[in-house]
Amino acid sequence: MGRYFRRKLLIYGVTFVIAVTINFAIPRMMPGDPIARMLAQNKVSNVESAARMHAYYNDLFGLDVPLWQQYLNYWGALFQGDLGVSLFAFPSPVSSVVLDALPYTLGLLLPAILLSWFVGNGLGAIAARSKWLDNTALPVSYLLTAVPYMWLAILLAWVGGVILGWFPVAGGYSFSFSGPQFSWNFIVDALHHWFLPFLSLFLVALGGWAIGMRNLVIYELESDYSNYMQTLGAPRRLVRRYAFRNAMLPQISGLALQLGVVVGGALVTEVVFAYPGLGSLVLDAIQNQDFFLLQGILLFIVIGVLVFNFLADVVYVLVDPRTRLGLEGGAS
Amino acid sequence: MRHPRTAVAIAAAAVMALAACTDDGGGGEDPDDLSIDQFPRDETLYTTGAAWGPPADWNPVSGGEVTGLRGLGYEPLYLFNPNTQEMEPWLAESGEWTGDLTYQATLRDGITWSDGEQLTAEDVKYTVELGQLDGVPYSNVWDWLESVEVVDDLTVEFTFLEARHQEWDNFLFNTTIVPEHVFSEYSEDDIVTGANEDPVVSGPYTVHSHDQDRIAWVKRDDWWATEALGLEVQPTYIVDIVNTSNEVTLNMLMQGEVDLSNNFLPGISDLLEGDPNLSTYFSEPPYMAPANTAMLIPNTTMEPLDDAEFRRAMAFAISPGEIVDSVYSGIVAEANPTGLLPIWENYYDQEAISESGFQFEPSEAVSVLEEAGYEDSDGDGFVETLSGDPVELTLNVPAGWTDWEEAARAIASDLRDVGINVTEEFLDAGAVDEARDSGEFELVLNNQSGITNSPWGHYRYLFQLPVQDVQTGANFARFESQEAWDLTQQLAATATDDPEYAEIIADLQRISLEEMPSIPIWYNGAWAQASNAVWTNWPTQEGDNNAYPVTWNGFWTMGSIYMLTELEPAG
Amino acid sequence: MTTDATLKSDSVGESRERLYFAFRNPKVVIGLAIVLGLLLVGLIAPLLLSAEPTQQFDAKSASPSGEHWFGTTYFGNDVFTQFAYGIRSSFMVGALGGGIAFVIGLTVGFTAGYRGGLVDEFLNMLTNVVLVLPALVVLIVLSTYLENRGPVSQAIIIGVFSWPWVARAVRAQTFTLRNRDYVDLAKLSGKRAPQIIVREVMPNMASYLLMSVILLFGGAILFAAMLDFIGLGPTDSISLGSMMQQSMAWSALHLGLWWWFVPPGLAITAIVGGLYITNVGLDEVFNPKLREM
Repeated sequence: MGRYFRRKLLIYGVTFVIAVTINFAIPRMMPGDPIARMLAQNKVSNVESAARMHAYYNDLFGLDVPLWQQYLNYWGALFQGDLGVSLFAFPSPVSSVVLDALPYTLGLLLPAILLSWFVGNGLGAIAARSKWLDNTALPVSYLLTAVPYMWLAILLAWVGGVILGWFPVAGGYSFSFSGPQFSWNFIVDALHHWFLPFLSLFLVALGGWAIGMRNLVIYELESDYSNYMQTLGAPRRLVRRYAFRNAMLPQISGLALQLGVVVGGALVTEVVFAYPGLGSLVLDAIQNQDFFLLQGILLFIVIGVLVFNFLADVVYVLVDPRTRLGLEGGAS
Repeated sequence: MRHPRTAVAIAAAAVMALAACTDDGGGGEDPDDLSIDQFPRDETLYTTGAAWGPPADWNPVSGGEVTGLRGLGYEPLYLFNPNTQEMEPWLAESGEWTGDLTYQATLRDGITWSDGEQLTAEDVKYTVELGQLDGVPYSNVWDWLESVEVVDDLTVEFTFLEARHQEWDNFLFNTTIVPEHVFSEYSEDDIVTGANEDPVVSGPYTVHSHDQDRIAWVKRDDWWATEALGLEVQPTYIVDIVNTSNEVTLNMLMQGEVDLSNNFLPGISDLLEGDPNLSTYFSEPPYMAPANTAMLIPNTTMEPLDDAEFRRAMAFAISPGEIVDSVYSGIVAEANPTGLLPIWENYYDQEAISESGFQFEPSEAVSVLEEAGYEDSDGDGFVETLSGDPVELTLNVPAGWTDWEEAARAIASDLRDVGINVTEEFLDAGAVDEARDSGEFELVLNNQSGITNSPWGHYRYLFQLPVQDVQTGANFARFESQEAWDLTQQLAATATDDPEYAEIIADLQRISLEEMPSIPIWYNGAWAQASNAVWTNWPTQEGDNNAYPVTWNGFWTMGSIYMLTELEPAG
Repeated sequence: MTTDATLKSDSVGESRERLYFAFRNPKVVIGLAIVLGLLLVGLIAPLLLSAEPTQQFDAKSASPSGEHWFGTTYFGNDVFTQFAYGIRSSFMVGALGGGIAFVIGLTVGFTAGYRGGLVDEFLNMLTNVVLVLPALVVLIVLSTYLENRGPVSQAIIIGVFSWPWVARAVRAQTFTLRNRDYVDLAKLSGKRAPQIIVREVMPNMASYLLMSVILLFGGAILFAAMLDFIGLGPTDSISLGSMMQQSMAWSALHLGLWWWFVPPGLAITAIVGGLYITNVGLDEVFNPKLREM
């Protein structure tokens, strides 16, 4: 058991190094001169000053040293928790910009992912049990999982926000509040803003889990061991429980795998609702060529996904002990 | 499943609330107004359209700034009023050229910083001298300024190497004075790149609070102009919302959640008609005050764009009217052939315009091409260069800038109609910038020449020399005319009331019309649409209440601050 | 052993029988009808339509009518024309992107899952590296890097970054399958690894693989739509996602131009949903017991 996790951790460590390296490399290949853009945005109109400021900021951001040195500096800074300074929210440190946005995204993502997983798997397992439910729940699930995230978000914003006017369509909380605070007024207001973006993420993800579980359970019920057990006269409930347990395996690894997609979904959903999370930030970072910020966001998401993957591994092993044997076993 | 969902929801809200602990208020003097955490609607002005990122930089000395920093918080010595074209004393009570190379400014008595300290001549001297640090945006003033001397508490004297009157006026209303007693505590790095949180200000408002998508200002009780000029800003709070999508902005505006939107909102013209709840600067098209000139920039270093006649032919071929009507639904106006904004119409040289100007006339474009020797000898419907090579030009605009994409389509199609083979191509915005700055383009659109205190700004944008590897902010066409640049520099050093001033401007117009370094097409607006739901008496072009209702950087100090003193609560 | 035998005896007669059941299965028929119908729209309509997607008509912001079936945009572009071109581009991106991802994912997943050991660790590491790179964010960055974005380049980068999903699932399934009795038997009888994978393991997850293909196809379409929606769509052509982006950029919600943003989203939903429904139907065809349920 210990050996299995040590190996896993090693793999994730290597993954992290490669991810950081790619993280470092990709943004630097982006077109354009970010500092020129920052200066242009701030309307530094007089040309003599612009040239001087350009040199100054190049120096400040460390863009004027060789690439390999930038890379070493990047690692060095990373270990001190220093992700650099954001260009677009200059002079805020990247970490503080990301941390400001993170709660909003987590607040959307965690409930949407976990609830859709539980509810979806429940629905799927039930649907696999009866023809009638299968015929009603399944088409709805297919519809939901086929909907593009932003389209559902647009429709919800259109109906709930514009036509009915029941929900706000911008911000994480009303602009009349000076800032987040502990009061019923505020919590109700924040939930009011949170509801539609959450709902659209939840609904789209829900369909996928339900279908996955339904198909897997049916597949397991079809398998030889189920048939064998039934032939031996095992109770139907027991067979189903085994089927469900085995069907959980791909669903658990799927949970980690799905994360990247849902994060993407959250991104476009946040854009539609002008919700101030990481998604909106990614978009801002790209539009402003803020590659320090982009790196920071990528890194946060990478770490998040790694941790999530590791947790999924733990759960996977707990559910299916055979996996452990397979990894350590004599197959090689 | 109902129960856990609620629990998670509340937990999520709690996480957000916890994150709030890092947010903070500014340094002001009125504890009642500061401690408030929900703004009363009828005392609060909600604006949007100025900020593109989270408020992060309260330092007017460095490159960045938050909405309202220059104008609501920090203030300049003078305001520039684009309507009257006059400099209006602000922190300065008066100022004049006391010699060929000396200028003396006298401050108003009794101006206090928000921490109670007096604003004195020392602060002015300190602020201007900060320009000696590299990395300060106005460092170029020291190319022609020699020294700053404090004469007494309220008087400062500036001695110049070169008396650049227009550039100096520009400096006076664009540079805001900072408190020496605060900034002198900062390290050099902090002065140039620090955030200057909790700013100590002289203006009518101080920072109340901020979050990533908003900043709130609260009114100060002892603003100097209340006593000195009888000005009283009306909103107790101003909340500026960081730009979101047009869709969201329009929705908030229509529902009265935002009072003033300075966004380009397509479709607004349809809503304006017959809606008494929305105000714009003009009551009829183009509704918005012209703010900058959108121009077609040719790369004048390559064939055939290096030929002024070829560029003239292009100017005749393009129909600005079509762009105004079909791309912008009439919320912008056609540009004058000189490219100068209407605020400078008194300087328009009608003679030069009728002699060398242009208007949409495809037949004229064709004959200009013919006379200059451009022919279609291979019969493909498009002209070749004088040496017989095919002309294939690309017009680049940023992908996703839909109005510009549509405008580029219209322009390219107009040019093809007269036999100039132009194709529109949409690239990533960063790639367009880079191509434009480095001169690796054929045709681009640009609108970086906007409202300022003198046409000098426009001509510097057109003619600046020398052309460098990377051009930032000016002469993207890489047009080389020493004569035009000399005249531009001469204009910078000529006082507005000097009779030569208008003459130089006329000469420059003639050069720009004859040489056509860039082709003016339309005026982009100072986009402003205001809701009358909570605040009324918005500025309009008629009457005295005619400041631009614009919250963008640089507009507060061009008179927009007056909007706040004229607003009236509705109902 | 009985299951083993039935799975292997895939005679001509059985294929015919499956085909027969496939076309008798309402889900397959309905799903295919939707997908093929839209495919035809995408293939044929652009040939018949005289207008270009960017052509401007006099009627601006017009609601649907006989002349403009889906109305016109704020600029007077015909929404149906854009819609037809958009569908064509979506199918292209889906087929190409999904295909690339499937081939990579299948190869990596089977190899890793069956071989185990070092090979697995290497491939798993590779999978993890690509996996932890949040696909959409990476796609965004890469897209930004492209000065000229077209559907083909979009499909390729989507394909190259969305395979780990399949690889992981296939690997996990292969893990559990390879310890089953019939695989052990096959090993004992001296069969080689590729043979075992193809003959013993793959048939046992055929429906799962089919679902993967379809999910990848649909996923690529959805990914492309998301990229387009945040303004990273093709710079030189129209797509369903960029239609939605345009409609939002020009305040279609508030101006009530629902015909601008409803059709593109509906088309994506219909294509992807149609694929899924076809998949359920085929699943029932492949697993006869499902039919009897």
